Amino acid sequence: MRLFDILRRSLRNLRTAQMRTILTALAMSVGTFALTLTLAASNGARQYGNTIITNNFDPTALIVSKDKNFFKQNTANQPQEYNPSFGTVTSAIGGSRQIQMLDDNDLARLRDLPGVKSVRPAISLGLRYITRDGARKYVATAQAYNAYRTPDLLAGAIPASIPTHSIILPEAYVHALGFTSAGAAINQTVRLAVNKQASASALTQLLAKNGANGLSSPPANSVEERFKVIAVLKKPSSLLVASNGLTLYVSEPDIIALNDIATKGSSDYHTYLTAYVEVANGTNSANLTTVQNEIQKAGYGAESVLNAEQAITQVITVLQGIVSIFGAVAVIASLFGVINTMYISVLQRTREIGLMKALGMHKKDVARLFEIEAALIGFFGGIIGSILAFVAGTIANPFIAKALGIGNTKLLQFNAAQILGLIIALIILAILAGFLPARKAAKLDPIVALRTE
Amino acid sequence: MITAQHISKTYGKGDTAFQALHDVSFSITSGQTASIIGKSGSGKSTLLHLLSGLDRPTSGTITIDGTNIFTMPAKDIDDFRARTMSFVFQSFFVEASQTCYQNVMLPLEIARAPLTQRKKLVREALSAVDLADKINEQAGNLSGGQKQRLAIARAIVNKPKILFADEPTGNLDSATGDLIIQLLFDMNRTMGSTVVLVTHDQELAGRCDVQITLKDGSIQTSNQVKHSKVKQ
Ligand SMILES: Nc1ncnc2c1ncn2[C@@H]1O[C@H](COP(=O)(O)OP(=O)(O)OP(=O)(O)O)[C@@H](O)[C@H]1O
Ligand SMILES: [Mg+2]
Repeated sequence: MRLFDILRRSLRNLRTAQMRTILTALAMSVGTFALTLTLAASNGARQYGNTIITNNFDPTALIVSKDKNFFKQNTANQPQEYNPSFGTVTSAIGGSRQIQMLDDNDLARLRDLPGVKSVRPAISLGLRYITRDGARKYVATAQAYNAYRTPDLLAGAIPASIPTHSIILPEAYVHALGFTSAGAAINQTVRLAVNKQASASALTQLLAKNGANGLSSPPANSVEERFKVIAVLKKPSSLLVASNGLTLYVSEPDIIALNDIATKGSSDYHTYLTAYVEVANGTNSANLTTVQNEIQKAGYGAESVLNAEQAITQVITVLQGIVSIFGAVAVIASLFGVINTMYISVLQRTREIGLMKALGMHKKDVARLFEIEAALIGFFGGIIGSILAFVAGTIANPFIAKALGIGNTKLLQFNAAQILGLIIALIILAILAGFLPARKAAKLDPIVALRTE
Repeated sequence: MITAQHISKTYGKGDTAFQALHDVSFSITSGQTASIIGKSGSGKSTLLHLLSGLDRPTSGTITIDGTNIFTMPAKDIDDFRARTMSFVFQSFFVEASQTCYQNVMLPLEIARAPLTQRKKLVREALSAVDLADKINEQAGNLSGGQKQRLAIARAIVNKPKILFADEPTGNLDSATGDLIIQLLFDMNRTMGSTVVLVTHDQELAGRCDVQITLKDGSIQTSNQVKHSKVKQ
């Protein structure tokens, strides 16, 4: 028999036993539904993780610390001895530890390593305030602008190299500082105030005058610097960036100068918790890894975006595996339904099989008739399950996004190739499930079969 | 030409062994009608199954048009059967859930008949048994006589060289039965098919060119009766 004829007969048989076919396919669709959604959720989670990473980390840079253990989880359960030259870090879940800081010598050493394009200390400077003539004062944080990604701008432009005393303003400060629009802010001057460390003599004077209470209101010891607004950043979509969208960006030399003013006279002067090491041709992950190894060999701690991505991917893969087990169990359970259905189908059609064999149909073709029938059940189960999952997922996406507060990110990301692969896998499993019944049909003795009244 | 030489058939082994056929030999020339008669249990169906290659004899050979069919691999016997033989059974064995068209199509699909000819062949076969107007009817809706006519249409659609019929009128009233027998003889005349007919009916057997009478698995008489065909 031609394959086409076999296929048509299989379809006809399925149609004759419609209810049985639909129920068996529905049983298979339950597992498919679960697996399709699991895959979609992992896709979405992976993509969301990567979006966050690429929005917040320079993919060609390594984050370097003096302390090798900086990036490791603090597992020590013994108190750490105090070291005055170390910085203290408190983790979000409590528990402090001391970390060695990078100094200018370290930065110079890093700059000399092969494959390193540039090194810049990671500075996030808490300003005393930002203001301009006729406006109130607002708290702000400043960082160096890094051009690894092109942010959405409301006005102005960001040149390849930012001139000193230029500032990129987040959208939120436009109205706060009294500008009528983002465009109106361009080329206007704002003033940033930086706290100066109170000198020892000034503190002594203050203590002598006011007693201990005097220290709660330290001297207005700050410096104002004037900056020209060159661009206004659009407010980033929620949760895509780690920062709250209120960071001011200035040039690299400016942030160092401001930081120097703020830390001069303290132990923090010219020491940094971490530094960004820009890798030459860092988009090539091999280069990134080479330099990372180089830095680690020199005794520093180094992390790249790759590590973060790997960590996220690993977590998601594990979760995906765990959830997939439920879907897989459902699919396996439904396979017994396929076996059962196929046995019934063979029994019901014993006479027909006998006749077909008497008329000269090959064993192989008889087996194929039932294998195709099983395959079609698998196919329908796959199609029904994945379509239901797609519809359910598409409807659920906005609600999930709202519940998790991830903006208009779609958590369930359906991938056509994955769904196709799933359906093919289901077809193969169904064929395997149909193997024994099909073999029974192929082996039927036509004489015995035709004796069945 | 169908030649059976010294065929014996034993079912089972040891104590339960039962010899259904003993040293049976005869021959039927192509285009003849042959009848196999005998009491119930005498081995008629067993002989038919051996002649059509559905079963293997315990000993002896069956030659069809010079080919010893049991020296062929199973697959080739299948193909041989699909090309040269067809069957009509006592209990019709038409698929009730399928249309007449689909029922008659089955042998064409099995024999891999060219797609372009199928429709025409099916129509011709249904016309020959006077069921042309039922082509799209479900076989389950037909009467007993119509079902057997449908089975005959299915048996002749391939224009087989040999047509085996195992008590084709067993489930029909005598008037309908006569019609079916008439059809089989017509096929023999118009298509030149060899017809091998299993029956209890002595009168019907007498109308065939060859009569093979079985008694307890042995040939009692095998007559070549010339010119005995009842003229229409
Ligand atoms: N598979 C089998 N196993 C054992 N014995 C069998 C088998 N098939 C047939 N027989 C026996 O062989 C003998 C011949 O059977 P067969 O079916 O050929 O008879 P028959 O002449 O066609 O009878 P009927 O007119 O009732 O159809 C019977 O005694 C039957 O019981
Ligand atoms: Mg019989």
